[in-house]
Amino acid sequence: MADMVKLFVNGVEVEVEAGKNLIDAIGAVGIEIPHLCYHPALGADGNCRMCLVGIEDGRPPLVPACKTPAMAGMKVLLDAEHIRKIQRDVMELELINHPTDCPVCDQAGECRLQDYYMSYDRRQSRMTVPQVVKGKKMAFGCGVVHDQERCVLCGRCVRFCRQITKTGELGIINRSDDARVNIFPGRPLHNRYALNVVDLCPVGAMTSADFRFQQRVWFLKKSPGVCHGCARGCSITVDHNREKEQEARIYRLRPRHNPLVNGYFICDSGRMSYKAEEEGRLNEARHGRLARSVDQALLAVAEDLAQGGKITFILSPDSSLEQMVTIRALAEKLGATLSGFSDGWIIPGDGDDFLIRDDKAANRAGLELLGIDCSRTGFTAAVEAADLVVNCNNDLGRSLSAEELGQLFQSRRLISFASHRREIDNQAEIVIPVASWSEYAGSVINCQGILQHFPRAVVRNQPPMELVELIARLGSPLQSEADCWQELARLPGLPADPATIPTEGLQLNDNEAAHDQP
Amino acid sequence: MEEVKILSAKFAIKDAHKLKVAKKHGAYATLDKLFAMAPVDVIDEVKRSGLRGRGGAGFPAGVKWGFLPKDTGKPVYLAVNSDESEPATFKDRYILVKDPHLLIEGIIICSYAIGSHDTYIYIRGEYTTQVKALQAAIDEAYKAGYLGDKVAGQDYRIDVTVHRGAGAYVCGEETALLESIEGKKGQPRAKPPFPAVAGLYGCPTIINNVQSIASLPYILDKGADAYRAYGTEKSSGTHLFGISGHVERPGMYELPLGLPLLEVIDTIAGGVWKGRKLKGVIPGGSSTPVLLPEEAKTVTLDYESMAAHKTMFGSGGIVVLDETVDIVALVKNLIDFYHHESCGQCTPCREGLGWMLKLIKKILRGEGSPADIDLLRELCDNIEMKTVCVLSAACTMPVRSYLDKFRPEFEAYVTKTNASPAGLQQE
Amino acid sequence: MSDRSELISTGKPFSFDKKRDAAFEQLSKRYPTRESLILPALWLTQEQEGWVCQEAIAYIADRIGTFASKVYEAATFYTMYHLRPTGRYHICVCRTLSCWLRGKQEIVDYLRNELSLTPGMVSEDGRYSLEEVECLGHCGSAPVVQLNGEFHEDMDVEKLKALLASLQ
Ligand SMILES: Cc1cc2nc3c(=O)[nH]c(=O)nc-3n(C[C@H](O)[C@H](O)[C@H](O)COP(=O)(O)O)c2cc1C
Ligand code: SF4
Ligand code: SF4
Ligand code: FES
Ligand code: FES
Repeated sequence: MADMVKLFVNGVEVEVEAGKNLIDAIGAVGIEIPHLCYHPALGADGNCRMCLVGIEDGRPPLVPACKTPAMAGMKVLLDAEHIRKIQRDVMELELINHPTDCPVCDQAGECRLQDYYMSYDRRQSRMTVPQVVKGKKMAFGCGVVHDQERCVLCGRCVRFCRQITKTGELGIINRSDDARVNIFPGRPLHNRYALNVVDLCPVGAMTSADFRFQQRVWFLKKSPGVCHGCARGCSITVDHNREKEQEARIYRLRPRHNPLVNGYFICDSGRMSYKAEEEGRLNEARHGRLARSVDQALLAVAEDLAQGGKITFILSPDSSLEQMVTIRALAEKLGATLSGFSDGWIIPGDGDDFLIRDDKAANRAGLELLGIDCSRTGFTAAVEAADLVVNCNNDLGRSLSAEELGQLFQSRRLISFASHRREIDNQAEIVIPVASWSEYAGSVINCQGILQHFPRAVVRNQPPMELVELIARLGSPLQSEADCWQELARLPGLPADPATIPTEGLQLNDNEAAHDQP
Repeated sequence: MEEVKILSAKFAIKDAHKLKVAKKHGAYATLDKLFAMAPVDVIDEVKRSGLRGRGGAGFPAGVKWGFLPKDTGKPVYLAVNSDESEPATFKDRYILVKDPHLLIEGIIICSYAIGSHDTYIYIRGEYTTQVKALQAAIDEAYKAGYLGDKVAGQDYRIDVTVHRGAGAYVCGEETALLESIEGKKGQPRAKPPFPAVAGLYGCPTIINNVQSIASLPYILDKGADAYRAYGTEKSSGTHLFGISGHVERPGMYELPLGLPLLEVIDTIAGGVWKGRKLKGVIPGGSSTPVLLPEEAKTVTLDYESMAAHKTMFGSGGIVVLDETVDIVALVKNLIDFYHHESCGQCTPCREGLGWMLKLIKKILRGEGSPADIDLLRELCDNIEMKTVCVLSAACTMPVRSYLDKFRPEFEAYVTKTNASPAGLQQE
Repeated sequence: MSDRSELISTGKPFSFDKKRDAAFEQLSKRYPTRESLILPALWLTQEQEGWVCQEAIAYIADRIGTFASKVYEAATFYTMYHLRPTGRYHICVCRTLSCWLRGKQEIVDYLRNELSLTPGMVSEDGRYSLEEVECLGHCGSAPVVQLNGEFHEDMDVEKLKALLASLQ
């Protein structure tokens, strides 16, 4: 527990964390100090001057809150006329050269300048002289588009590229009101986290070419999620919406602050992974060459399973714990073998020392915790011994070549539950579409041994069936989420109720943390 | 009223910038005494002398040195401020060119006092010939053993490196100067931490103006009392005053502090030129609020009197304005300068000075309204002291003084539709 | 200031000549960090070429081991770095307070009207370029002109004419 100190804000005593800067310390008790340039992940720069607060009996009497540590007995003045005037004045100066093109600006609705204008300024413009003209629609690389005129020169984007990615593509060139953000010609943004500058930018100066003009942000529904791009399992927000009479659609993924996992950021490929939720999806169930309803196809699967013979279930390292445990229960009931073989999901050397991991699966730790064999030899033996293979959404094409797969399933019956269209499934006798991660609720354990639970984000017009439900209907002894968790709770460290998992996740025991390898 | 020759003692001597000549006239004579003293005694002597920083803020030099934390295990740096970019200031360059060894001797004294072994002299980029003269003197001092591993044969190393600026007034601000030495844009740092605690490369650093440093040999040689014999109680010693603008004999004059301003203008600088009348005096560089003739009559050239007259001693750059000066055009000239030189990091200065410039241009063009004058005046208040450094205040303080003291001139521009050609010539 | 973002690419690789190379190495011993070499390296470039091209900025960044964006920042922040070639004679006229009070405008007008020079531009024959600069620290001998770095004090149009005539 951090040291707490008592200080006064507008004469009212509050208890805050000692040593933290005033924005964070006082912010933690719900009092907002406006700020543009300060960002907890990037530190205080002190350039925007929005955060100036008064210190009664202080020397100096006016300080930038972002640069001032909370100290016992301090008398902080926010709600005083002279401080409100400073906030108004600084806002006015922020705005004089701002295009205020909010009606065509992507940031509208989540713009600090707009918000602060409403909270702290609300005056008519007194600017009667021409504004400074700067560059617009500049392609900075990595899908980042920059508008120099909207920029308030807070330097967050520059600091991000220097401090976090250490690639330093951005700079603020010139000086005075000619200062502007730019890339050095021929050296555009070139790092795997570049799109974070779009979130970091407090105004609409950094936009994503992918998201530009797609949707007004106030129409977006924001659901918490966990990125399934790699074993980091970054906390994200899934921004989605169903426009009238249309299919529900994900418009973008954004990082969701999680101090345990990803801080404030996610990688670009994770961010763009929403496209895979929209494209290449398997939509129809099939039996043989004939399209079938899911119910019909499921009936056929049930018949196949009932026939006996040797059965192998293949699990995906991307599946949720709930899915895994449900499948395991069914397999046990049927005397079937299990394999979580997914070597191809691991791309050695692809990870870095920040967020990205070699392992592109979201829940390999879950497979391991459940004791499911993932070895190639185990997989080959199980498949070769089996009469019937049931693939539960494992993209085997990542691990084996088309030839290898062809050979393996030439003389074997294959049933596939798949969220996406995959080559291998052409060989399957029965194929049934299932929900992908944005369409179901579930839990995963990341490479650090952190257990996260996420709710269902997107509900399609015709929602694909969730794997847990499907397996339950095939007779798994685990018939409900509660059943799953009763089973899961037997594992060390796992709770009995996923609702008790904190939003930033639950750190499982140290042994699990030992998974933290590239 | 007479000039004194302490800092400028060797200025008139031919080739005094050369070591041989300088030595003949006493250069480096204090070093034996210096190394026989304890560093803390040197600091005490400087404290007792009352020497105040000559870069503009007038902070007591010895007191500043006392802020250095002890035994941090980090090197202590000395940065000599030779940026000399405040309009109307032209004193340090005389030292650089005419008596650079005085500066080097001062650097040795200061370094020893504060326990520093590495000095950077930050010289403005425009000083092309000056930097050559300075470097030549440093080279000579190295050769003669006054700099390098064993300064004057003592077991004390001092290395001096000249770092050239490249056209940025703001680099005269001490933390911008440090940033510039570190290879960055000259953007002032927020204080605290103060440079004495975390300065150059994050290490304890003392920054002093060229003239402050060059004052040290005299203080060490003749003693604090001898130095205090010049000037006033709180403004001791002498200063290299630069007098420019509308006087008969503009130039640099070394004078004790405390002399009456008007008398200095009249006797030393030959009075307002062409027999014209005085309109105002800028007492200490363009950043200091202007004085009306009646104020100039009572003010003396020292920190206290200037403060009492709601202006500042500043850099000692006195500018005389004759009756023909178009104050509105002058204000435009000033804002133009500060706007051009704003480092651009803080919102109020970056955006505000640009706005002020556009407003004063509008007024000059005869397109302004009384509201524009009020807005200009209000912006001074809105910007001042809300920023990281005081460059913005260096603009707003004088501008406010012109607006307050010469308001009718601004009004004439907005009520008469024709703007004066004197104003427009600047566009 | 004016916008200095636009860099000129020569299309040719840049490197220091022998002399500047040696000077650069010498300088690198004077600073505890490589980034301190940014300003000195830009100066060496300007000394060598008369101006600083896009390739030179990239070269300096790579040679120092820092981001090109940082060298770009410095090159555009500090106005004495010429980001395009100047005339053979680069004339800087101080435009600030004391020089303004003592008639700098006549000098600028002469250069504008008689020599058709525009601040920031190079004359067609490449002979001259003109720049209006801020206080040059010679206010006691205003107005001042700096020609290829040399100071000329107490200037007026007659003296300027004589000065220009003395150039070959
Ligand atoms: C905008 C600005 C410009 C300055 N320019 C100079 C300068 O050119 N030379 C100088 O010595 N001090 C200058 N100063 C003052 C320095 O910040 C600092 O106070 C001084 O160098 C300390 O030395 P001193 O105590 O010996 O005066 C400037 C300050 C500001 C805010
Ligand atoms: S682009 Fe955005 S983040 Fe970057 S400096 Fe401008 S306002 Fe700040
Ligand atoms: S006040 Fe102006 S010059 Fe000083 S730090 Fe702020 S923007 Fe830069
Ligand atoms: S948040 Fe403190 S100055 Fe910007
Ligand atoms: S004003 Fe021109 S040199 Fe100072």
